Amino acid sequence: MTQSIDVHTLSGAYALDALSEHERAGFARHLAGCEVCAAEVSEFAEAVAHLGIATSVVPPARLKQSVLAEVGRTRQLGPVRPARRAVDNTTRWRRWTAAAAAAAVIAVGGAATVGVIQQRRIDQAQSALEQAQRQAGIAAVLNAPDVRTFSAPAQGGGSMTVAISPSLDDAVIFVYDLVAPPSGEAIQAWTLRGGAASDAGVLAPGARTGSKLVHGVAGVDAYALTVERAGGAAAPTGDPIAVVATA
Amino acid sequence: VSARPDGGPEGDLRPPGSDVDELLCRVGRGDEAAFSALYDVMAPRVYGLAHQVVRDAAQAEEVAQEALVEVWRTAARFDPAKGSATSWVLTIAHRRSVDRVRSAQAGADRERRVAAASTETPYDDVVESVTASLEQQQVRRCLQGLTELQREAITLAYYAGLSYREVAERLDTALPTIKTRMRDGLIRLRDCLGIESVVTRP
Repeated sequence: MTQSIDVHTLSGAYALDALSEHERAGFARHLAGCEVCAAEVSEFAEAVAHLGIATSVVPPARLKQSVLAEVGRTRQLGPVRPARRAVDNTTRWRRWTAAAAAAAVIAVGGAATVGVIQQRRIDQAQSALEQAQRQAGIAAVLNAPDVRTFSAPAQGGGSMTVAISPSLDDAVIFVYDLVAPPSGEAIQAWTLRGGAASDAGVLAPGARTGSKLVHGVAGVDAYALTVERAGGAAAPTGDPIAVVATA
Repeated sequence: VSARPDGGPEGDLRPPGSDVDELLCRVGRGDEAAFSALYDVMAPRVYGLAHQVVRDAAQAEEVAQEALVEVWRTAARFDPAKGSATSWVLTIAHRRSVDRVRSAQAGADRERRVAAASTETPYDDVVESVTASLEQQQVRRCLQGLTELQREAITLAYYAGLSYREVAERLDTALPTIKTRMRDGLIRLRDCLGIESVVTRP
């Protein structure tokens, strides 16, 4: 098999869904960096949609009920990040941290309720932990006398909980029941210091629940999750799906 | 021959008064009533396309359901600046349909399917009658403006769900030729349908 020299000519086959999965993935990567190709593909998509419309047939009436019933129990995904390019996110991260901090202040007002919810989240996090491989470091944080926990709901569902022990200078990030990342992508955790993001670990591709132990958390003012390419990115490439402010 | 014989706004899948884009944006914000309205507009298109590709009513219903639920699930990712809602939804429906016909098909089954794939367009037999919609008439006219190889390559891929390798096999033509004909054909089709670039052209 020789690799085609002119990958651009695959745009037609791509728009017609006539590539193998492997070729499709390769061309999609090419598209991300080729604006001309992306424009051509979206014009082709409009053209082939006309071919599709021309086949319209009224479906059986039962289909609507059955689709609406499934929609009623199907969670929606959040908007996707437009480009896989690490950019200088400092300003944006600062803004998110500030927003999350404001939310945390509000949460303190309803302390009793928050306490119950947090306890439930900790229980959930602990049971998730027990299912996973038990790690001594995580247990140490959870059992530390000065452990503090912070939680935030994640976009689309699920939650993020951070347990911090200042005396150990360690934190554990638990993510629980998130919306599954798309195929080939994974949830990545970040620590934020004054708007600068550092990698805090990547979950397995497709994983929705998991935990990450983070060492050296002094000065961290927030924790965040983003969806990244499987294996993780050097810097966040898009908006976070959850932010927990801890400062 | 003019690449765009009559141009005009007919290629726009967003005619004035059409609110499919707006509906899909609302669906992206979790609006179930908007989804119900979107269903009414799009379900015949999604089901019709699935039926055309999978060639089986029961399977077409399953595929249409999968596709429409995926529309709900991923609607927040629709960006009206990058294309019409109709094309976005039909892209999902087509991919699901193609996945269905290509999965669980190996060896002899696949060969039979490739050999049996028709190069006729689904409206060849209705187009002269009054039942042919304007859409069908326009698409048929534009397909007629393609070379035979362009038209066959496009219809075998889109309506029969063949991969370009299968199309090459079916038409006994070299792979690079098929690739190029698909692209040339879509360029001609795009121009005939009067589709404007979704990005600003210089």
